[in-house]
Amino acid sequence: MSLPHGLPLDPSLPEPLARREFLRLLAGAGLATLSLGAPRLLGADDKAVVHPPAKADACILIWLAGGMAAPETFDPKRYAPYEKGLEYKRVLSTFPAIPTAVDGVRICQGLESIAQVMDRATLIRSAVQPDLGSILHSRHQFHWHTGYVPPQTVAAPHIGAWMARVLGPRNPVMPAFINIGQRLEGVGESEELKAFTTGGFFGGEYGPMNLPFPEDAAAAVRPPKGMDAGRFVNRDKEFRRLVDATPHRDLLSDHQHESMLRSMDNAYRLLSAKERAAFDLSLEPKEVQQEYDTSRFGRGCLLARRLVENGARFVEVTTEYVPFFQWDTHGKGHDMVAKMHKEIDRPIARLIRDLEARGLLDRTLVVIASEFSRDAMIEGRPGSKAGDQSFHKGSTIENPDHYGLHRHFTGGTSVVMFGGGVGKGKVYGATADERPLVAVKDPVSVEDMHATIFTAMGISPQTVFDVEGRPFYATIDGKGKPARIFG
Amino acid sequence: MRSHLVPLFLFALSPLGAAVDFDHEIVPLLRKHCGECHAGDKRKGSFSMNTRESLLEGGENGVVLVPSDAGRSKLLEVVASADPDVRMPPKGPGLTPAEQARLRAWIAEGAPWTTGFAFRQPAYEPPLKPRTPVLPPAQDDRVHPIDRLLDAWCKDKGLARPAPADDATFLRRVQLDLIGLLPTAAETEAFVADPSPDKRAVRVRALLARDVDYADHWMAFWNDLLRNDYAGTGYIDGGRKQVTGWLYASLLANKPYDAFARELIAPTAESEGFAKGIVWRGSVSAGARPELQFAQSVSQTFLGINMKCASCHDSFTDRWKLRDAYGLAAITSTRPLELVRCDIPTGKPAVAAWPFPELGQVDPAKPRAERLQQLAALMTHPDNGRFQRTVVNRLWHRLMGRGVVHPVDAMQTAPWNQDLLDALANRLVESKYDLKAVLAFIATSQAYQSQAETLVRGADDKGYVYRGPRAKRLTAEQFVDALWRLTSTVPAKIDAAVDRAPSGRTAVVWQARPIWSNDKAKGELPLVGETRVFRLRFPLAAMPAAARCVVACDNSYELFVNGRTASKGEDWQTPDALDLTSHLRAGDNQFLVVGRNAGKAPNAAGLWLQVTLVDAQGKETTLATGAAWEWTLPGATARGLPGANAVWRPVEVLPETPWAKGVGRLPEALGRLSGTGGPPARASLVKSDLLQRSLGRPNREQIVSMRPNELSTLEAIDLANGQAFADLLNRGAANLVRRPWRSPEEFVRWLYLSALCRPPSAAEQKVALEILGPRLAEQGVADLLWAVCMLPEFQTIR
Repeated sequence: MSLPHGLPLDPSLPEPLARREFLRLLAGAGLATLSLGAPRLLGADDKAVVHPPAKADACILIWLAGGMAAPETFDPKRYAPYEKGLEYKRVLSTFPAIPTAVDGVRICQGLESIAQVMDRATLIRSAVQPDLGSILHSRHQFHWHTGYVPPQTVAAPHIGAWMARVLGPRNPVMPAFINIGQRLEGVGESEELKAFTTGGFFGGEYGPMNLPFPEDAAAAVRPPKGMDAGRFVNRDKEFRRLVDATPHRDLLSDHQHESMLRSMDNAYRLLSAKERAAFDLSLEPKEVQQEYDTSRFGRGCLLARRLVENGARFVEVTTEYVPFFQWDTHGKGHDMVAKMHKEIDRPIARLIRDLEARGLLDRTLVVIASEFSRDAMIEGRPGSKAGDQSFHKGSTIENPDHYGLHRHFTGGTSVVMFGGGVGKGKVYGATADERPLVAVKDPVSVEDMHATIFTAMGISPQTVFDVEGRPFYATIDGKGKPARIFG
Repeated sequence: MRSHLVPLFLFALSPLGAAVDFDHEIVPLLRKHCGECHAGDKRKGSFSMNTRESLLEGGENGVVLVPSDAGRSKLLEVVASADPDVRMPPKGPGLTPAEQARLRAWIAEGAPWTTGFAFRQPAYEPPLKPRTPVLPPAQDDRVHPIDRLLDAWCKDKGLARPAPADDATFLRRVQLDLIGLLPTAAETEAFVADPSPDKRAVRVRALLARDVDYADHWMAFWNDLLRNDYAGTGYIDGGRKQVTGWLYASLLANKPYDAFARELIAPTAESEGFAKGIVWRGSVSAGARPELQFAQSVSQTFLGINMKCASCHDSFTDRWKLRDAYGLAAITSTRPLELVRCDIPTGKPAVAAWPFPELGQVDPAKPRAERLQQLAALMTHPDNGRFQRTVVNRLWHRLMGRGVVHPVDAMQTAPWNQDLLDALANRLVESKYDLKAVLAFIATSQAYQSQAETLVRGADDKGYVYRGPRAKRLTAEQFVDALWRLTSTVPAKIDAAVDRAPSGRTAVVWQARPIWSNDKAKGELPLVGETRVFRLRFPLAAMPAAARCVVACDNSYELFVNGRTASKGEDWQTPDALDLTSHLRAGDNQFLVVGRNAGKAPNAAGLWLQVTLVDAQGKETTLATGAAWEWTLPGATARGLPGANAVWRPVEVLPETPWAKGVGRLPEALGRLSGTGGPPARASLVKSDLLQRSLGRPNREQIVSMRPNELSTLEAIDLANGQAFADLLNRGAANLVRRPWRSPEEFVRWLYLSALCRPPSAAEQKVALEILGPRLAEQGVADLLWAVCMLPEFQTIR
């Protein structure tokens, strides 16, 4: 295989050093146990937490940030086509429903490719979120990603960090938790995004590797610009010689020095491993690249697939949260959602088919989710005091810009899961057919959603860590209950 | 000892006809069925049967047991209930009928209890008031109180006391610990060579006297502890307020710690950000409301109490209760507060109170401002040893690598050496709450000046044993500052709104005057496109330790120092700040500026330039545009450099009038820039970036009192191939190769002395020279810089 960057896939690693074998052994051990003062896993002695058998080894979270309207995607309701003067109260969906590969299950027009793979999916239509008062996206995103409502008195870990901490990496050279597509600098609410895009109290070892631009992901595991592979490998080799030349031999046995060298070792291991090629989208056949290439998100789906193929544990790929863009439709909702359909439809369907073709789908849980749904009339939930945040305040639609679901709705939304032991061609829960479109059957709270995902991954929702002398559970108070969607 | 108060006639009423044996029948029964949730430190439903008192007190649902009254003892009801929602214990097979009968009999007997029995003895309760430890006699003339205590401790434990650290190790440690900066190579060599016996104590005092450096360094510590930052959640919508300016001024003035704390608890507009907390939009759980955040922050920062559990329910792990958290919250609350347990209102009003009524109490009837004053006074009450011990323990941790109480926020737990903790606290009080005095007290001890412990894995598994100071990871700020200084890449601007040169201090005085050519008739203005070349020649006795420059030209310029381009500027309204250290040399030097006028019609043109030179002794000299400069016409080369035969004439020094007003306000901007250019930028004063995050600077959403000591794999990846770090190394390398090194060996020696405070060994020198190659070039220098920065020896303070 020819590589565009002139970096051979397996540059010979440096000469084995005296401590090298020792380090290799250490690297395999649970890292946190080496770290003084790291949170302690509870239940080791007295009340052992029993983990369910894992149904999946890897998880891809497809995050449609900004509030994906369920009635415009996976839970179509009565279609009201655009007409001038149309009353908002008559608008439930602005897209007609289309059939899917599952008899009797319909989703929205625009998602034709996904419709054809719905026979591999369980469609949860009854996800609910608490009304956090004023609807700030990043607060709901924090809740969805950590299972805890912000603010928290300790830094709550992201769900990917839980997997990294409890399950560890699938492949020792691959970062366990990789986050694709979200810029954390220079976008609105970026400080709020950083607050949950983190290993939290587990520490940086379990935090995300952030790859905001999938097409640049290869650079994240490549030498810095201006440095060729030979120099990069050589620099590390020379560094190790310098370490070995230190006159303070006793320091090398120091725990802290050891742990620093081990991290350097782990880093260079990835940077010189064959798995590094997984980050490089240009290595995909042109046809495949084109199929995925609807957008940065589409390319992110391809990257997610390549990373999971090469042993990533948890990968999140997002359409990106930028206030008032993408799914965050406060105006021109219909047109924007039509654009979002185009961005997600082909890549998601292709991702599912690719995983299936590689025999990976059964052991990979793919979750499509968003922080909440949207509605044309209701902000928050029925009875919420949250203020109307749609741009257009009238009761009727006077031009196409007004046509769409422009308010945040937390009473019922859709989550789609593929693989990882979930039922195939199933629908779980339901929302009302008339406004308010609340979940009317089998509601799944954020805690229960986490319990469901954790259960699929073989993590007990009761898993608990001692943080500052307090128990901190994988789901709040250990009470999350998995939805009955498996098998 | 059994209680003998049981009336004998009850024996006859006992269903099984025999006296109940509390120790052998009831204790095992309660332990088996109830202990998991209601004994020791567990108090589910706020109910504990750890002691007879707590058992009789009952829980959130009222009384559980009434001695001698089985009928009113709810305990018997719940253990016998058939309703799974009511029955206790909720899990497992529950009590057998025989066990229930024994329990009933025991209650009927009056629930006798072995005097002093507790399922678990009450947790350690630290002393509140100050204590004066008795100092053991000095050993081997080691008279420092810390050494008298620790030497005796070591002797008692049969441990050798740690060996002394050498001068270079001490110097590196004390510089980084007290002001966050590495000593320069010259400073290290001078210190090691200095024969004076008291040089270490002298250096400690000298470092603490560098007040700007001290304030810069300790900003990072206090920002962590007060969760203050220059960007972060909450600032987006005014839900959070910085204390930056107040904090910096307090550190610069070494404000006594009691006054410091009072100003945070009963704040002014400048210091209220800490007490206000972070207000999130929308509804938050009761325990996260700003009033409760106040309770948590004040408890944690000043008392080392974790009030986070008790903000939601009575703590399961220590003695703090919901009413303690709400008591503090009610002090700051502007409205009546109701106790809310796990987001369910209890109907009970919160009463303003603080957790140590032994020292006095807040009057809930007083208005808020007065209540806060009272709390501030109680907190800093001379008898509040907890307040004193908490802060000295934090300082001990920063300097010695591990707290006397550890973790440092677990002040409710036992110290490994109470006398040591008290000696430190007393030093704080004796010095009138002078934190620098406590730092000096620690840093002048032999204990601090000992070799660091070589830490083995699991060192603390069986409890901590003092074996000398522990190595600390360089903070992100220390790492970045070190690199900036080593490579002359200190940025021009800081983000923190702080006054680093308040009035009354010697700041860099702005002396530069605008200059241009003197070939104009009176009233005639420079033409559009007019280009002039200016120069200043000056000798230097030695290469300066630092050279900071501010330059601007209306309209554009290129600056050459000793023949090499140092800077270009196109926008005259934005002056440039440069580090010229690596451009200057011992002997003759020359600044040469090609300046060019622009515009649509003839207009004023001018050049400003000022350089502050700092020599190895810290003495400052200023060079600035003025009458000493000369000008000539540009040469025929592309960049306008004049030839050797050019005729140089004195410049004209211009009035500032044309630039004093209008959009530019150039003199003002220049003055400001030179002000901040006075003390160079510090990493603690800029917003966090990818590099600093990779090095462990935290998001300050929560209070952070101890940063992780470990480098994570992801951080290591960033350090191995992160672009920002690579760019910084490249810029640094470019600066370094310009310095006049006599040989690669000289450079290696300088780098090791500067970064590690020791010369390289022969083996290290050999490897380093191989990395550099036969002559100093940017690539080799960048690679060696990287390798040295990655050494654990560099990344730790030992």
